[in-house]
Amino acid sequence: MALALPAPLRVNAASARPGRRWMVAWLLLAPSLVLLALFTYGPILRVLHESLYGSPLPGQAAPFLGLDNYARLLGDPAFRNAAWNTALYAFWTILPGMGLGLVLALALEATSRVSSVLRAVFFFPTLVPLVAAASIFVFLFLPGIGLLDRYLALIGIRGPNWLGDPDVALYAIIGLTVWKNAGYYMLFFLAGLQQVQQDLYDAATIDGAGVLARLRHVTLPALRPTMAFVFVIALVNVLVAVDHVFVLTKGGPSGTTDLILFFIYRQAHENHDLGFAAAATVVSVAVLLLISGLGIETLERGLRKEEGA
Amino acid sequence: MARLTSLLSAATVAACLALPASAGAATAIDFFFPVPVDGKLAKEMQRLVKLFNEEHPEIQVTPAYTGNYDETKIKAQAAAAAGKPPAVVLMSANFVYELALQDQILPLDPMIEADGTSKDAFMEDFWPALHKNAEFNGHVWAVPYHNSTPLLYYNTDHFQEVGLDPDQPPVTWQDWVDAAKKLTVRDGDQVERYGLTMSGSYDMLGWTMSALTMSNGGLYYNPDWGGEVYYDTPSMLGALTLWDDLIHKHKVTPEGVVDNKGVSSSFLAGQTSMVILSTGSLSFIRENMEGHYKVAFVPKNVRNAVAIGGASLVMFKGATEEQQQAGWTFANWLTTPENLGSWSRFTGYFAPRQSSYALPEMQQFLDENPDAAVALDQLRFAQPWFATYNTVAVRKALEDEVQAVLSGTKKPKEALEAAQANADAIMKPFVDSTALALPN
Repeated sequence: MALALPAPLRVNAASARPGRRWMVAWLLLAPSLVLLALFTYGPILRVLHESLYGSPLPGQAAPFLGLDNYARLLGDPAFRNAAWNTALYAFWTILPGMGLGLVLALALEATSRVSSVLRAVFFFPTLVPLVAAASIFVFLFLPGIGLLDRYLALIGIRGPNWLGDPDVALYAIIGLTVWKNAGYYMLFFLAGLQQVQQDLYDAATIDGAGVLARLRHVTLPALRPTMAFVFVIALVNVLVAVDHVFVLTKGGPSGTTDLILFFIYRQAHENHDLGFAAAATVVSVAVLLLISGLGIETLERGLRKEEGA
Repeated sequence: MARLTSLLSAATVAACLALPASAGAATAIDFFFPVPVDGKLAKEMQRLVKLFNEEHPEIQVTPAYTGNYDETKIKAQAAAAAGKPPAVVLMSANFVYELALQDQILPLDPMIEADGTSKDAFMEDFWPALHKNAEFNGHVWAVPYHNSTPLLYYNTDHFQEVGLDPDQPPVTWQDWVDAAKKLTVRDGDQVERYGLTMSGSYDMLGWTMSALTMSNGGLYYNPDWGGEVYYDTPSMLGALTLWDDLIHKHKVTPEGVVDNKGVSSSFLAGQTSMVILSTGSLSFIRENMEGHYKVAFVPKNVRNAVAIGGASLVMFKGATEEQQQAGWTFANWLTTPENLGSWSRFTGYFAPRQSSYALPEMQQFLDENPDAAVALDQLRFAQPWFATYNTVAVRKALEDEVQAVLSGTKKPKEALEAAQANADAIMKPFVDSTALALPN
């Protein structure tokens, strides 16, 4: 890295007094630090702090509870329900979403006029904001009259009450999410595929590997870092994207589509229990960090392996 | 970067200089309003505020569209917490109790008395059903602005087709179930057309359940103190069992949760013959229905009774004396009988003041729109709207369980017991600090 620096700058940096160098560094960093402190670290500390307090009764200050909110959270059936829904939602959006993205990328890897049009077509849902997509799906999902049921009726199938049946609603929302995200993940996989070295394919072909063997032994291992990266993105999406729940079901019927972020929103704004909402936020972000950490660990292991090879 | 920073600081200084300058000319206040129905209403509200500002040069009202009822409450509370409370907010009428409990809104009687009126004289002109949601604990907290009740909408073409008299809507629950059975069209096991559909969306579901429970003689909640709801009661058990039977026994109502859009679109498409919708949907149905329809009271088992809905003007604490005065002037201007009447004709809500209906243009409107007249007649039987400590959470405690019954996963009795227990748990802090806070 040092070799890349232009020569005069290197000389200046070396000859300057250490104190002055630090000052310049801090001055340059100050604007970002101020913004980060105000809008990122400040709120994080505040959430941690608030998670230790209860909800104030009219005209009183909020009582200090220590870790009670956390204990209550773990025993709360509504939180466990939201956590379970989120786990189901994560499983059924991440795996099929990534799988579909990968298949699309493999199918559209070669550049031709048709494939570039198709890439744009599959990428299109990413450009629609989630809240707008959900507003359109309101009409697709209308029981009996919606677009989905009308097409199903053509082949003689009577659709379920998509958003009103507790056994179906979460999967309807999952379907929307997969449709929305697969094109986005496809883009990462397309980029990942460009990185696979052609000589590896050539060598494999000479060794007599067919299409499937090349996919299994060359393409997929080379895509491991991309997969880990997409996995982390998909995981973050699970926790932070909740617009469709707001628009389509508000967590119903009977709480079957209540995801963690929606649960947090309800605690804060329906129950006015900010401390409880803060505790739920801390726990869910901690779990997210843990799983993402594992994902990034896999990513780095994949990279080391690749460099070693 | 240095240039950007200096630009930023220059902009900050400019903003600081500009603010007091504009405030000096006229008293500036914020007005938050939701639009529960459609965008047309937001435009009309902007127009009204502009008119007010022109008529009152000493006051500058800034209208802010704040989403739906729930979002409006959240945004108003957030603005108040940030030290910039909106002077006037159009608030869902059943949130007024909670806001007063949290000490966030102003009692209006001092301003009413300063105008030389008593609070009884001030409230007298409003329909009696609206009083409980605006006046409690010895104070007036809100000025009703637009109101609604649930109504039975029915397709008169379907009525004729199956030999029912379109001028004789069902009056009792017995008539209602009989009519629904006749109106349902089946093809083998498949239902081609349902007799009756009611919304299972949050909020509308609670409102519909309160209409059914009240029609069954019940009370739903304690209108005088926000720590009690009557979920596990015979009147509500009867109401929920009726709905359960319509779905699972008579099979004349679709199973599961059908949301508001699903209810209105299936009615418009002729896939269901009767629906319960708000009077606030009157204009929408009138404009979009191709077949013929009429409206009627919600049928009764014990008595005619429904809960009111709608919104009222409240004033948040924390504004300056001048801003409060300006807000009060604005609230009074919005709620003159003439302005309430024209808003009612524009939106389809009914006007909260009885004197609005004495105006000739209102009489003419009712003559031309008999469905609006039915809505008004039902007002005589209206009851106050569900309002407790943590209203939304307590309401959802019931709605989640009712949804389980509609989906066939629970029986009415066990669902209502669970709903009662959940609601009691939510209200416990309030109950413990009031009714159960006893002398040592």
